[in-house]
Amino acid sequence: MIKKKYTSLNDFLEDASFKNWVLQNNGTDINFWEFWITNNLDKKELVDKAKDLVLGISFDQNFVSKEKVAFEWKKLETKIQAKKIASKRKVRFLRPLSAVASILLLISLGFYFTNLYAKVTHKTNYGEILNIKLQDGSDVTLNSNSSLSYYKNESRKVWLSGEAFFQVDKKIVTNAKFWVITNDLSVEVFGTSFNVNTKKKKTAVFLEEGKIWLKLKNGLDKKMIPGNYVSYSSKKNEILEDINIFNSIIKTSWKDGSLLFDNLSLEKAMEKIEESYGFSIVFKDEISKKTVITGAVPTTNIDICIKAIEKSVDVIIIKKDNSLIISKKQM
Amino acid sequence: MEKLSDKFIWKSLKEGDLNAFSILFESYYPKLHSYGLKISKDTAMTEDTLQDFFLYVYEHRENLSDLDVIAPYLFTSYKRFLLKVMKKNEKLTYTDAPDETFVDLKFTAEELMTNQETTSFKNKNLSILLNKLPKRQREVVYLKYYSGLKAAEISEIMGINYQSVANTLHKAIKSLKEEISILKLFN
Repeated sequence: MIKKKYTSLNDFLEDASFKNWVLQNNGTDINFWEFWITNNLDKKELVDKAKDLVLGISFDQNFVSKEKVAFEWKKLETKIQAKKIASKRKVRFLRPLSAVASILLLISLGFYFTNLYAKVTHKTNYGEILNIKLQDGSDVTLNSNSSLSYYKNESRKVWLSGEAFFQVDKKIVTNAKFWVITNDLSVEVFGTSFNVNTKKKKTAVFLEEGKIWLKLKNGLDKKMIPGNYVSYSSKKNEILEDINIFNSIIKTSWKDGSLLFDNLSLEKAMEKIEESYGFSIVFKDEISKKTVITGAVPTTNIDICIKAIEKSVDVIIIKKDNSLIISKKQM
Repeated sequence: MEKLSDKFIWKSLKEGDLNAFSILFESYYPKLHSYGLKISKDTAMTEDTLQDFFLYVYEHRENLSDLDVIAPYLFTSYKRFLLKVMKKNEKLTYTDAPDETFVDLKFTAEELMTNQETTSFKNKNLSILLNKLPKRQREVVYLKYYSGLKAAEISEIMGINYQSVANTLHKAIKSLKEEISILKLFN
């Protein structure tokens, strides 16, 4: 915690624990400093000085509102875009076009002001997969029980809960990035295809091709290359998995309507079924849990899915209310 | 892994990344707005110059030098930008144009928290006492306690070293304390 020497004013000022004591924020720090000061009375003057500086003068900061900042940003963004368009045209066309441009600018400003906060949300139920084409041409496949939102004026910044596969168009001219934001992290993209899954209280990202950056909630960056599979939980504040997957289809096959299992225990496989269909899973015995399954099952038809599993491993699955009850097939 | 930093945002901006620019805008607009308003005392002028300033930054992004911390650059350049406009507008009214290094920031009673953390600052005349401080001290006080900048950032903005920032702040607080205790004697 606090072990270094304190000899100059800066030593105190740059010490988080010292600030905690001054502001009486943290019990441990308070105890430490009360003790430290009684043992270092020769430093009292320095401590008092530093304390004065940390406390300083409390201002009632009156910063402009978030809405105001958003408004000003739109204004600026419109100017930047207008300049980009203008700079592409030949100069001699500028004059006759300026009237048209200013009308267009007014219309687009009006559009921005009315639609600034227009949020679009796509939602899927269990057993449902949705293909979405965003305004910028990017394709998103939204897995079951998931939702994707974005603001109308900014379709290259999307919020995801659940699972989705992205095929992002690269904007070569503007180099504009694409952002996927989850509870745990943001994915920063130029143009590429990748899978994001936020089920199970973490965010797992699988990169199929291209290059992306993960901006984790704890402030760290992580670069990903094709084949990387990284999962991170902001709650645990740690990277849970960081592996390479060579058979990419396993992580992305759901978008074509099937789940692929490659030597997976039935227990793990049924977790995927649970995610897709929303049934709770009940195993009657331990042996069925450990059974290994290889094969493909559909993600949109539970009855065929059950039949496919029963066919490939020796279990019987009974669908009852919202549960799937699995037991070993009696010989 | 590396920390997502000013350096990264600045680099992305220089590459023309509008998203990075929007992050930059969102994080610094409120502080620069308050700072501009403090200097110019004119909302319309502050907002117009901020628009022009950010547009200028974006358009000249390729020529800007690499930065590890952004705040000093934005505060210094915006101040210069704003003062230039003010000078132009005020040419007609008076010749004493504001071209000094330290601007003349004045504090109002409303801006100060009524319950100052240190008991010695519980004084209704605190704003008056603050305004009596030398310009330089007032600006450092403002940047530190209003804008919430780090001492290292302030030292770049004011063009003085880190130690001088601490000393200036300390001098300001010390003289405030003295003034207040003198006032107390007469009450």
